[in-house]
This record gives sequence, structure tokens and C-alpha cells, in this order.
Amino acid sequence: MPKVSALNMPDVPMGLPSHMELQRTRVSCDKDAPTHTENVQASGAYASVGVDNSLRLDQFRKNFRVTVVRLTEDDMEFDMIGIDPSIANAFRRILISEVPTMAIEKVFIANSTTLVQDEVLAHRLGLIPIKADPRLFEWKDDNKVSNEKNTIVFKLHAKCQRGGPRLTVKSDQLKWLPNGSEFIDEPTTATDSTPATGSTPKTFTNFDHSQASLPEFANNPIVPKHPDIIISKLGPGQEIELEAHAVKGIGKTHAKWSPVSTAWYRMLPEVVLLQDIKDELAEELVKKCPAKVFDIEDLGKGKMKATVARPRSCTLCRECIREENWEERVSLRRVKDHFIFTIESAGQLPPQELFTEAVKILEKKCKGLLDELS
Amino acid sequence: MDAQPEPVSYICGDCGMENTLKPGDVIQCRECGYRILYKKRTRRIVQYEAR
Amino acid sequence: MEHGTKDVKSSTFCLTDEDHTLANAVRFTLNQDPRVDFCGYSIPHPSDAQVNIRVQTTGAHAGEVLKDALQSLTAMCQHVRSTFDGAVEEYQLENPPVESMETEECLPKKR
Repeated sequence: MPKVSALNMPDVPMGLPSHMELQRTRVSCDKDAPTHTENVQASGAYASVGVDNSLRLDQFRKNFRVTVVRLTEDDMEFDMIGIDPSIANAFRRILISEVPTMAIEKVFIANSTTLVQDEVLAHRLGLIPIKADPRLFEWKDDNKVSNEKNTIVFKLHAKCQRGGPRLTVKSDQLKWLPNGSEFIDEPTTATDSTPATGSTPKTFTNFDHSQASLPEFANNPIVPKHPDIIISKLGPGQEIELEAHAVKGIGKTHAKWSPVSTAWYRMLPEVVLLQDIKDELAEELVKKCPAKVFDIEDLGKGKMKATVARPRSCTLCRECIREENWEERVSLRRVKDHFIFTIESAGQLPPQELFTEAVKILEKKCKGLLDELS
Repeated sequence: MDAQPEPVSYICGDCGMENTLKPGDVIQCRECGYRILYKKRTRRIVQYEAR
Repeated sequence: MEHGTKDVKSSTFCLTDEDHTLANAVRFTLNQDPRVDFCGYSIPHPSDAQVNIRVQTTGAHAGEVLKDALQSLTAMCQHVRSTFDGAVEEYQLENPPVESMETEECLPKKR
């Protein structure tokens, strides 16, 4: 008798039995707690029922889908279908903490007579999103000189006139200095204060040429993303004069470099009516749901039927299954491999570019490790 | 050392006027006569980390 | 850095400057490889930027299996990127930038 693989018998049904398939692909949100929340990752997990759970790249390519739901200047929502949460989560984590941006890191204060203390003022400046593409800049180590490739310099000079009203200093008063710092870096000791004659006095930066001469910035001056962020308020006679130096960094170091306000995902809610819900019960169900998931379909002759009209807006509050017997009528689930991903950009880069950058960073991590291994 | 000490600017604690005093001057605002004067902040640049 | 035993089938890889982001994703791709008997990762101390990835195989060289896992993760990323870019492009074609709409909306207000 020829050997026949147990996985290849035509009279034996293939694939997972339906209840196991449900457990594999859905989280059930029951009355007391969610169940089947785990993800089965092991390739051989279903070997005994003849199902291969291993990753097939061509299979992934066939099933993976992305649909954009909303895309605006600084906010987007999209569906990512057919991917494991470990990878979706990697993208989310990278978006929050590893996509680089430019942010103010050093503040040189020449004068500040406001009530806001110098260090508080510096901290406030650091949190202002700067609309500059970080990909055009280099990383700056602590011991590296600030030059036109790694530093953006802003000047802030505001004075409130005596006898006048109070003055609110907003972020649009930060003026970009494409030629670098204008403050003279004075030697710390008075004894070696012999300036090198003929050369221009040393400033806090060392720009070879103006940033404004670069094609990227020629018609596109670097400004804070929002012009109306309040930095400080000046009383009559008070004055602020400072320079702020922005450098490239990542959110892991400090949240001011994080390119997103938030980036999050949720699994697609799935609401299933296990039996027909009619008439009074249908009306009751519609009334129960605070998220307005259900609608009533008029069947004519005074008959009504409940339908699931907007499953996406279900928050899984479980209000509809809280009362006696309702768990048998309605089933709340989440689709494990369908992610509703939302990115709220802080403004440095548009959200769709942030996501591609995040994916590139994960790729770079893999490549770096591969290089180390070989 | 400097032979002639430079006059230093002070700010009146009451009216906010700027007063320049030399060593030996009476510590008193020229505008309002108030006797508490504050030293002005120097323009030496102070560097802060924006964190 | 690889801390192997004499046995090529099982190794622990210590990655510095990495965290759950990479380790959990790699653990997933490793788990999906039929040659892998066991794999897991740990972060010995939350203050240290270090993860240990343990790979035990049914016979293949653990380092090679990890390399394959990384390669398939890279391939997945590339596919995600191209799919995403395609979806964004499609969306932008269907919903052209709102500038023209904004002017339309603004016009009645000027009356």
C-alpha cells in the first residue's frame, strides 16, 4: 500500500473546524471578560488537524491590504488588514519614539526679565513643533560643531514698552536665522580676551553658507508649525532676547522629538446577531446601544428586525449583552488581524510620510542586525 | 585691574527706573527717592537645555 | 553578539540598543518558521537597552534561521510600504486636495 500523508487525504475535511477558526481569528468580548485574546504564532500549532500555520510570504502578500479612511494635513486613519499585531505594534512604537524630527534643544538666553524662569522658558521652547523636514539634516553629537547641516537657529527678541499694554509672545516671533547664530561666544576668562584680528568674531555656530541658499528652503523658510503657541507674557518694561538651536532627535530621548501627538490602533469590532431580533426586542436593542450601532429594518405589516448598521462605531462597551439572555442574541467580537490605525501628526511631517518612515526604520533595524550576524 | 570702575545700572524697586551708580553714590532712586535698588541682569549669555 | 553553546541548533542573541519593537516582531517571524522548535525574547532589566533572543531549532543553524526571519521581516516591511503608498495614492486620486473646496466654502461667507 502506498504511503499517504495524513495531510493529504481527500475524504478528510481540510482546514480548521469552524469553532477553532473563530478562536484563531476573533477575540470574543463576553459579558464577564474577553476570551481568545491570544495570538497563535507557532507554525506547527495546528499540525495535528493538518493546518499549516507558518508564514508564507506570498500568502502574506496576497492577503495584506491597506485602505485609507481619512487623510488630512496632520491626521490620518487607515485600515491595515492581514498583519500580525507584533508588527503593527512595532510600527506604532516606532512612530511614537523612533521617527526623527527637529526640535529646539539648546537655548541661549541673553536677557529675560519675564516672570517665566529661564529654564521653564527653555523647556517651553523645546516643545514647539518646528516645520522642517528632518531628512534634510544630519545628526549632531554633543561634541560636534553646530553647522548648517545639523542645526536650525531661531532668534526671539520681544520687548514690552513701558506704559503700554501687556505683550503676549507667540511662536511666530521666533525668527529663523539661516546664517546661524548671531551671538558672540565670549571666552570664559577675561585674560585671553584678545580677539583674533581680521576674522569675524566667533559665534555659537559655524555655518559655511546660509541655509536659505539651499533649494529646499529657498522659497520655504523654516518656521514653527503653529504661529499661535503662547511662549510667554511680558509686562511693561520686560524683555526677552534669546537664540534657540534646534537639532535632530528621536522621541525615545525626549518627547519633544516625537513626531506624533498620538499613534494608535484598534481591532475592527464585529457585531453578530446570533438570532433574528424582532419587534420590541429590536427596539430595545437599538435603545441599549450608546454608540448607535444598530438600526431597525421595517419588514412591513408592523414587523421590525434589528440590523447591525455601524459595527465600526462599536466601542465594545458590552451594554447590549449586559442584561439576562442577551448574550445568546448578540455576539461582540474583534477581528484579530484587522487594525484601524490612527496617526495624529504633531506637524513636522505629514502623517502618511511618518508611517513610511516608520516602516523604513524597522527595515533598517533588520538590515543592521543582518549585517552584524554575517 | 581697571583704574576707573564702570558705573553699574540698577533698577528701582518701586518705579522701575534705571539708575546708574558709581562707587560712593547714595543708594537712592533719582526719580522717586526709593532706597531699594536691584542690580540689572547682565547680558552674558546663559545656555539652557530645552528639556 | 551571539552566545551559543557547542550546539549550533540553539543560541541566544544579545542585541544592544533594541527593545520590544524589534524583538517582538522578530519573535513572530521566527515562530512562523517551521524549523524553529522554540523561540522567545527577554529584556533582563528595563533600565538596560538590551534584549536577549533565544532560538532553538529542530536541526538548522540557529543563526541562519534568525537571518531568514530578519529577511522575511524586511520583505514584509517592503510589502507593507508599497501597499500603503499605493493606498495613499489611490485615496488622494479619489479625494483631491481640499484647496479648491476651501475657496468654495469661503466664498459665501464673504458676502
